[in-house]
Amino acid sequence: MSVREVLGEEPEVAMAEERYRVIGEILSRVFRGARPLTLSDLLDKAFLNRGLGIPIFLTLWWALFRFTFDVSAPLSDLIDVFFSRLGEFASSIIGNEWWSAFVSDAICGGLGGVLVFIPPIFFLFLGLALLEDSGYLARAAFVVDKILRPFGLQGRAFIPLLLGFGCNIPGVMATRTIPSERDRILTICVNPLITCSARLPVYVLIAGAVLGAYASMGVFTMYLLSIVLALLMALIFKALIPYFRGRRAPFILELPDYARPTLRSTLTHMYERGILFLKKAGTIIFLGIIVVWLLSSHPWGAPLDQSYIATLGRWLEPLFRPLGFDWRGAVALFFGFIAKEIVVGTFAVFFGLGEEAEIEEVQRSIVELGVFTPLTGFAFMAFTLIYIPCLATIGIIYRETNSVKWTLFTVIYGLILAYLIALLIVVIGGLMGLG
Amino acid sequence: MKEIEVALIGNPNVGKSLIFNNLTGGRAHVGNWPGKTVEKKEGRCIHKGVMMRIIDLPGVYSLTAASIDELIARNYIVEERPDVVVDIVDASNLERNLYLTLQLLELEANLVVALNKSDIAEGLRYEIDVKGLSELLGVPVVPTIATVKVGMEELKDAIVEASKRGVKARVRYREDIEELIEGIGDILRRDEGLIKKYPIRWLAIKIIEGDEEVMRLIEERGLMGELREVIG
Repeated sequence: MSVREVLGEEPEVAMAEERYRVIGEILSRVFRGARPLTLSDLLDKAFLNRGLGIPIFLTLWWALFRFTFDVSAPLSDLIDVFFSRLGEFASSIIGNEWWSAFVSDAICGGLGGVLVFIPPIFFLFLGLALLEDSGYLARAAFVVDKILRPFGLQGRAFIPLLLGFGCNIPGVMATRTIPSERDRILTICVNPLITCSARLPVYVLIAGAVLGAYASMGVFTMYLLSIVLALLMALIFKALIPYFRGRRAPFILELPDYARPTLRSTLTHMYERGILFLKKAGTIIFLGIIVVWLLSSHPWGAPLDQSYIATLGRWLEPLFRPLGFDWRGAVALFFGFIAKEIVVGTFAVFFGLGEEAEIEEVQRSIVELGVFTPLTGFAFMAFTLIYIPCLATIGIIYRETNSVKWTLFTVIYGLILAYLIALLIVVIGGLMGLG
Repeated sequence: MKEIEVALIGNPNVGKSLIFNNLTGGRAHVGNWPGKTVEKKEGRCIHKGVMMRIIDLPGVYSLTAASIDELIARNYIVEERPDVVVDIVDASNLERNLYLTLQLLELEANLVVALNKSDIAEGLRYEIDVKGLSELLGVPVVPTIATVKVGMEELKDAIVEASKRGVKARVRYREDIEELIEGIGDILRRDEGLIKKYPIRWLAIKIIEGDEEVMRLIEERGLMGELREVIG
């Protein structure tokens, strides 16, 4: 007689059920009087309801994102304006031309480029901390388990994926709550496909420039593509890679009682995750922007198309020609590897507008110079979505998997998939006469 | 003076910290678990000529290898073998709390159950048969209300009493599961080293569940081959 014969495919679940059966038996003998329904029970009847659970979840999720972006937008604008003024002021008081450009474009531009992400990231984490401390997030994982299961992911993978929409770094770190190593690594591998908030400015820039009336539809498509690809790749990896096969880890989740979130623990949760993003991502993005500036403004005084960055771009261009990206697109993607935020900054630098250029000016230049057609622009957005998230995420993937193999795997499949999907968009679009 | 080691364990938010403070008078040595960032609190209490060293384990719902907190708690109980483990149970949510209690019984811990918030249960208009619960679990059960320090003397009495006795409680599962546990236990008992260090019944249950840590241990001891047939 084997474990499988007695307890079936999920012995851990069967053992949990057996314990609860014994508990039920004990309770039936020690309770006098019926236990009335508590508020927690009533809330669960709604939140975990087969029909209502998912609509409620989607509503709360939507509210969380509206909250994050609406509340943080004015603050981000404020930070943006502050640093561009600071840059102008600094350059006006520094005599030396090189230092003046360095301080205003590289330093102030770089700092502004990092700090504008603080409001959305902190508000997202505040919202998540509220949902978590109230006890709802555990229910959400439970509800979503039914959706994720067919794709080989379990309910606990939901929180890391959700966090990924803010930033992949805390997303990857949150996989620690997944007990099974296999499930954890699978969730880490697909997490970079979740479109983080840093990719949004790229979509907004390109879609606004070349997609015209379809701009917001284009951005929305990226979010849809992100979710579809993450689930699809999980399914494919599960089917093709022997490591992910085998016994499915059962999903046992203790649902804590609902509680009123305390100010202190909510703020602590938000602060811990936010600071982590700032430390890991901030320094790298900041340095990346400085490097782009140095390469694009040297040899000093040379026009942009003779700068080091242009040389690099021309060298990369043949690789991207099938996708219809020119050397500027190639360079933007190359530096986007450091952090996606840099893609927008790179375009701004290209058109001689400086890091702090208004987005409308950059968009106008993209159209006037014919950098993208609507089709190649859309392919560029898809490429940005799919390929390697950023240096900091790669670092965190290595730390959390503790494996060079899985880190490389994530980087390489991302590049190949990005190329394939972008090519597919260009080819199919071309055949449909959308070029 | 006789010295005993007492570990406090319970689900999060059952009033464990309050009971710790009531027992130790609030004087605690605070440090970290070795190599971990999880806080470790330790205090002392003298009762009826016995010195109790009281260790506050992390608040957990179960004892899987799933989280650092759960691993710390269960490794402590397995490796340090405290003289008494006090399981603090929320009387207003017995069903969920007893899940941890059953796992502690599997671990063959010398258990005393503190039935905390026993006043809330009354407020919910139901009664818990404390004596019956104690008999069914095979361990002493002491009703407490930590917020107003009710039941603390009785709890200390029960701890000292339990430290003099050995473990005798054992919850039995379904017959076919018990047979499985027995079968796996027979194979494990061939390894002298394992018998000395671990409760065999607990190891067998964890093997059935496919617990990652225990599977690694079994692999290290070279018992995987023999067990494969039973695991299936």
